[in-house]
Amino acid sequence: MVVREKALQSYADLVADDPREFRVHGSLYTDPQVFAAEMERIFERTWLYVAHESELPAPGDYKTVVIGTQPLILSHHEDGRIYCLYNRCRHRGAVVCRQERGHSNFFRCHYHNWVYANNGDLIGMSQSTGYPDDFDRSGYGLVQAPRLENYRGLLFVNLSEEGPDFAEHIAPVRRYIDYWLGRSPAEEVEVIVPPQRYEYPGNWKLQAENGYDGYHGNYVHLSWQRVLQLSKEATVEETQQYRQSGAARGLANGHGLLERPGSLNPNSSWTARMMYRYPEYAEAMRARFSDEHLMEISARRNILVFPNLYLFDTHFRVIVPTAVDRTEVQLYVYALKGVPDAINEGRFRGHERFFGPAGFGTPDDIEIFTEIQTGVQARGHEWNLMTRGQHRERVEDGEWVGHTTDEAPQRSLYRYWRQMMAGG
Amino acid sequence: MALALTAQDAERFLFAEARLLDERRFEEWEALFTDDAVYWMPIDPDQDPLRAVAIIYDDRKRLHERVYRLTKTPVLDQNPPSRTVHFVSNVEVVDGAGGQEAIVHCRQLIAETRPGGPGQEGLNSPRLFAARCEYRLREVDEAWRIALKKVVLLTSDEPQYNLSFIP
Repeated sequence: MVVREKALQSYADLVADDPREFRVHGSLYTDPQVFAAEMERIFERTWLYVAHESELPAPGDYKTVVIGTQPLILSHHEDGRIYCLYNRCRHRGAVVCRQERGHSNFFRCHYHNWVYANNGDLIGMSQSTGYPDDFDRSGYGLVQAPRLENYRGLLFVNLSEEGPDFAEHIAPVRRYIDYWLGRSPAEEVEVIVPPQRYEYPGNWKLQAENGYDGYHGNYVHLSWQRVLQLSKEATVEETQQYRQSGAARGLANGHGLLERPGSLNPNSSWTARMMYRYPEYAEAMRARFSDEHLMEISARRNILVFPNLYLFDTHFRVIVPTAVDRTEVQLYVYALKGVPDAINEGRFRGHERFFGPAGFGTPDDIEIFTEIQTGVQARGHEWNLMTRGQHRERVEDGEWVGHTTDEAPQRSLYRYWRQMMAGG
Repeated sequence: MALALTAQDAERFLFAEARLLDERRFEEWEALFTDDAVYWMPIDPDQDPLRAVAIIYDDRKRLHERVYRLTKTPVLDQNPPSRTVHFVSNVEVVDGAGGQEAIVHCRQLIAETRPGGPGQEGLNSPRLFAARCEYRLREVDEAWRIALKKVVLLTSDEPQYNLSFIP
């Protein structure tokens, strides 16, 4: 197969960073070898979001995840720290935890009853006289993932010792994460579990490309715009006009975002509207932030933290690739801390209205992912265009800034994808 | 006090509801609901819906939007539309004694597919959903209406492909 041979030559060739016609090759979405290489070179080599600390509030709490191909346990130990452990018994290789989340004082392998503490230490073996007296248990604990970082409650793991440290990786997107947290006057959020989940028969990058795509809304989400018109929230014209404002930003290290302008006018931003409606919220926000800072906080942003996390107004969106043509997506809605309960209840119901497998928006996006996954199997011309706005984007403070409908963030994603995939 | 709603009444009502959904008569289906109705598909059925996130938690206004979107707008995720067959069984009137309300439990098996051209991802792939359902029915103007429909999918906490039809 032509595509496969091409992929074997160099993965970097599959992204054409052409100043006039930025494009990506169709095999990015269809070739199992490309997918296997992505798991190895991206998912098991850079910083991956794994959990929010509010999912593991007490010692003994745990959560299991799969990052790339690797089964992991996040475990809150009694020393107060969270550990990231490979979910594999050191004896004969069975997993030591089968649940997605829960609370336990230890992890026990079902096969021969080897028992591990929450920090991975081997603390018990059945019929231990079968091992010599000088058997050193300290050498047989669950293996820790090489690197784990907690940024303001967001936990990121890196399965490689090599490569940029976390501070360097997150630097281009850090201030946007900070603004995003600022809608809570405590600058803290609490994740609601279990998450909403959906899956689709398509490649994971289709979700990554779409979350900050400001171009598709008027077409893919026309039925949503009609619902807003029905409820007299906004006419279709008003919604379409709103979708022209703001910016699409491509950041370094593969990050990117779609941004709607901030405002202190209750008619023009969610934050200002909530401050107007709930004086106690306004008071708490003004006590914490300057007007200038509030302008930034009130800007609405869909932020991709490369490669597997989106931060949205209502939720953390975690992209879990399971095969080249199958992806699971988890939507962890969160409560803002330090705000009236009514604000969070409104956010939950507003989330369900648009997002999730039965929302009025998400299923339309999923539909497009399946249409692309079918279409990119066609050869003929094998490249997808990501040129929109190339001629008019500007570089500001290391960001590629384009019109809200431009593909600047998608180009950032693929520039970094190319860099990581080339690095054998 | 005599039962206000017999098991046979309940079955007749639920079969009719299933027929409306399968025949895509969504506006007639919507009219089965009371003005204060809730249509709820939880992820964790034991959670307080006000403090949790559901797959669906529609009040009457949201339910109307759902039906309006399906029937009156160019809805992409139902183009082509779903075909469904709703099986209703294990109907039990849990509390139908007196008053104007009755609690009915049943099991449902929902088969769904979206026919389309050859090779289309996501189409031509029949799916089965098993569900435990709870209805709170209320007598309004001498007819039974739905005040609560709670649908707990067997796979409620597992990933779903589009649930853009009405399960």
